[in-house]
Amino acid sequence: MLLLDYHNVLIHTLLTERFSGAPPSSIDQIVSDFDGVTFHLSTPESKTKILISLNVKCFRELVQYGAQQVLEREYGPYIVDPEPGYDFSVLIDLENLPAEQEAKDDLIMRLALMKRNAMAAPFERAFDEFAKLSEEASRYTTESAPQGVEEGGEVMAVHYREEEAIYIKASHDRVTVIFSTIFREETDRIFGKVFLQEFVDARRRVLTLQNAPQVLFRNDPPLELTGVPGLQNVNDGTTSYVTFVLFPRHLAPQRRYENISHIQIFRDYFHYHIKASKAYIHTRMRKRTADFLQVLNRARPENEEREKKTASGRTFRVQA
Amino acid sequence: MASQTPAVVMDNGTGYSKLGFAGNDSPSFVFPTAIATKAAGAGGASAGRPPVGNKPSFLAGGGGAGSHLSAKRGTEDLDFFIGDEALSAANGPGYAINYPIRHGQIENWDHMERFWSNSIFKYLRVEPEDHYFLLTEPPLNPPENRENTAEIMFESFNCAGLYIAVQAVLALAASWTSSKVTDRSLTGTVIDSGDGVTHVIPVAEGYVIGSSIKSIPVAGRDITYFVQSLLRDRGEPDSSLKTAEKVKEEYCYVCPDIVKEFARYDREPDRFLKHTVSAPNGRSVSIDIGYERFLAPEIFFNPEIYSSDFLTPLPNVVDGVIQSSPIDVRRGLYKNIVLSGGSTLYKDFGRRLQRDIRHLVDARIRASEARSGGAKSGGLDVAVVTHKRQRHGPWFGGSLLGQTPEFRSYCHTKAEYDEIGPSIVRRFALLGGPGSS
Repeated sequence: MLLLDYHNVLIHTLLTERFSGAPPSSIDQIVSDFDGVTFHLSTPESKTKILISLNVKCFRELVQYGAQQVLEREYGPYIVDPEPGYDFSVLIDLENLPAEQEAKDDLIMRLALMKRNAMAAPFERAFDEFAKLSEEASRYTTESAPQGVEEGGEVMAVHYREEEAIYIKASHDRVTVIFSTIFREETDRIFGKVFLQEFVDARRRVLTLQNAPQVLFRNDPPLELTGVPGLQNVNDGTTSYVTFVLFPRHLAPQRRYENISHIQIFRDYFHYHIKASKAYIHTRMRKRTADFLQVLNRARPENEEREKKTASGRTFRVQA
Repeated sequence: MASQTPAVVMDNGTGYSKLGFAGNDSPSFVFPTAIATKAAGAGGASAGRPPVGNKPSFLAGGGGAGSHLSAKRGTEDLDFFIGDEALSAANGPGYAINYPIRHGQIENWDHMERFWSNSIFKYLRVEPEDHYFLLTEPPLNPPENRENTAEIMFESFNCAGLYIAVQAVLALAASWTSSKVTDRSLTGTVIDSGDGVTHVIPVAEGYVIGSSIKSIPVAGRDITYFVQSLLRDRGEPDSSLKTAEKVKEEYCYVCPDIVKEFARYDREPDRFLKHTVSAPNGRSVSIDIGYERFLAPEIFFNPEIYSSDFLTPLPNVVDGVIQSSPIDVRRGLYKNIVLSGGSTLYKDFGRRLQRDIRHLVDARIRASEARSGGAKSGGLDVAVVTHKRQRHGPWFGGSLLGQTPEFRSYCHTKAEYDEIGPSIVRRFALLGGPGSS
């Protein structure tokens, strides 16, 4: 598994099973997703009505960036008042499903992507802003551009984890996405560094990746973030910043959806691969140990004939 | 954030892995503990181990044969599937299936590490740093295995905290949901019958009495084979293993007395049923179901009808196990016999077991009363506990204990592990034992 899925597998399998006419039964499950997202699947009223609630840490921020509109677009008729303790709820009535299998599958997938969709709002807004700004900027030359066009829009911060955040900033010729990540582990930090360096280098080295977004990696806050509140300026080496620069070709409407999914999952993808590399190294360490043990065992001398002595020092003589 | 996330409960068994979050009433995922890896190619590396080069692939060669990234920096180690996907991948070419757990114990750590990695990231979708983990182990698991597990969980995954519980103890905890259980004690006898083997495990105050554990080579798979052989003997049109399994799961029950049951079937012909097997090609055949309904589970109580080398009935084994345990816990062990695992789900299984054990116990008491010449025994209470969570007993017990507020204080945290090292997991405070709510 090279890439992580974007959707929640449990919601997907559960709904697929229920939608395909399995006998209704009551559900009450609390499930986690990456980045501290919690889902609650339940059947509060009757067995045919499934309530799916979502709890995101940074929902407030997301709403500010238009999450409500995105979610309304995706789940329009299913939305109900959020369950207490959760941020967003949809209610699916199994007796009232779209008739065609295709529409059903689509609905299942859309529901399984709920986390992705909630998190997509700031990206969509940034992409829209980019479109507006580039439209505006095309009317000026570099010199004559008035204040504001060159600098681009405001930095949108999404504090999706306790100490980590995504910063998104739209300009007239690009959208910049900055991840701040924290490593508590020494080992992880080194792995992360190698991995990120590889990210930066790969683009330079491999021709087919030349179209990929530019990746920058540094340990101090990038200049784009100057003046953003709540930024830890303590440079103890635990925080690193990964910057993705999305160019207009990544922002084309037909690419948008894919790209938002890709970039959202980056942190989890990153951590997954650090762990997978560790697992790989462990595999090789185990292999190496087994090899060394084999060598050691081989080096043991054949059981040589030694004279056997009794406690008092006398020896037995073999009778001819 | 780490203070809110539910604990992850993983019960990796020989046959199936049960994964989910604490507080839920059923595991989120149940799939075979299987991993399909790329079959060792021309190199012919030792079986069961992923092919590992002496050097990373990008150091070797260097001829610039492929400028593609993945050719230079190998990602072959990520080319694998777990669970049901593994089974279907193994049907195709290129993949070989491996079962990293044998007889309840982890045999292949390379595979297990990757199995866990995929379970966590692909299925559960959690960041291990944010969650506490509750894993299970079989009774008599060597402490080295625990240490290996801790190394992987803490060093590869950096999980926030870890608790490793014995499956039998969790099965006892799962029985607390039964209305019959009034005091939440961790003393009892666990009968754990899965697919491959049946264990009888005495537990006193949360500690397994290792010297008294007995296992019986009769379990779910044997019942399936037995049903199959009965179907074949009768010449039913369909007697595949799958059909036999279906018959076993849907129609079998335990009867109080076989002789009477035979007579009853002769009197009431409506007890004979029909089962329709629909083949994938649209054809469907109907097979008769008769005496196997009660004969199949009967092999627990009269193993001679199935096997010729194992002849001790389950009630006698249970009785023997309790008799070989320390005398001061025997009363507690008789009083709380807990069932766990899929092969204990037959209707009236618990009732029959309770009756048979009680017969044995009463006979012994009578004999000793007679020998003692007039002394009266106060009697001994035998109770078999059946409950709704039997199928995934250990998992459910883990979920129950994992959601308690004090669970985290019983775990070893990453910081403690870093301080002390893997040997820290040799001891765990007893979760749900005396003193906790």
